[in-house]
Amino acid sequence: MAQQLSRGDVLLAVMGPPHISDMVTSAVRLAQALLERGATVHIWTCGHATGLTSAALGEAKPRNVVNWSYEYPSSAALATELLDTFPDRLTWYSCRFCTEERGSAPHIARIRQRPPFKFTEHLDAVDTALFLGVC
Amino acid sequence: MSEDGRRRLLIIERAYRGALETQFADVLYLARELNRQQGGTDILLRGLAVTYAAAGSRPAPVMVAGSRKIDTLPDPRESVRTLIEEGAVIWAEEDDLAMFETGPDWLLPAVRRGGPADPLPDWSAYRGVYFL
Repeated sequence: MAQQLSRGDVLLAVMGPPHISDMVTSAVRLAQALLERGATVHIWTCGHATGLTSAALGEAKPRNVVNWSYEYPSSAALATELLDTFPDRLTWYSCRFCTEERGSAPHIARIRQRPPFKFTEHLDAVDTALFLGVC
Repeated sequence: MSEDGRRRLLIIERAYRGALETQFADVLYLARELNRQQGGTDILLRGLAVTYAAAGSRPAPVMVAGSRKIDTLPDPRESVRTLIEEGAVIWAEEDDLAMFETGPDWLLPAVRRGGPADPLPDWSAYRGVYFL
């Protein structure tokens, strides 16, 4: 099975939840910096981080009552933006168990769900794996 | 505000609760709405959150995702200024300020100091105390 995974330079395993720290922001900044420099990046989300790409989020966050006309992009829209900009070098995986357990299904297009017991293959598919946070 | 005129005290201790995914909807967004509906609230900043009350300007938080510039990240220093303009009373705890304060001009002038040298907000004087 490992052969079916494309090779990557770096895996960013986003284990911790969003909204409690700047971890997700750091992950995106790191991915952006790596991709701009030509690296191949895999992102894997677990736990509540699977919700970052939930299709239910839509394109925009709920309205800001003090800036009603402005559309603030959802995390799912930003993930789409990243995947559109770097279609050949960014692959975004999400843990199937966590996706179902945390109610994140269905995902937006191009998010590849993988069973948690295949995670070790993802570690083997990259030169460097970084864990961000804990589930 | 309640009929007896007592205000509510909001206590904020944790800073850095998301940026990209949070944007405008940070803890001070809720505080601002509570302040508006309550006709004024007091807010005590503790821990890392005392940096919300720093006077110094800093570059506006901006990042890039894909080819999109995101300039709507939380800006707590700006939000504290807005809260003060809208009648909130901001306090910062001196013990925590000591970790960051580099001089007498570090803290926004309108922010009250609370701690060993100055009285902290008296919880019993408030209608309620809420940890946000």
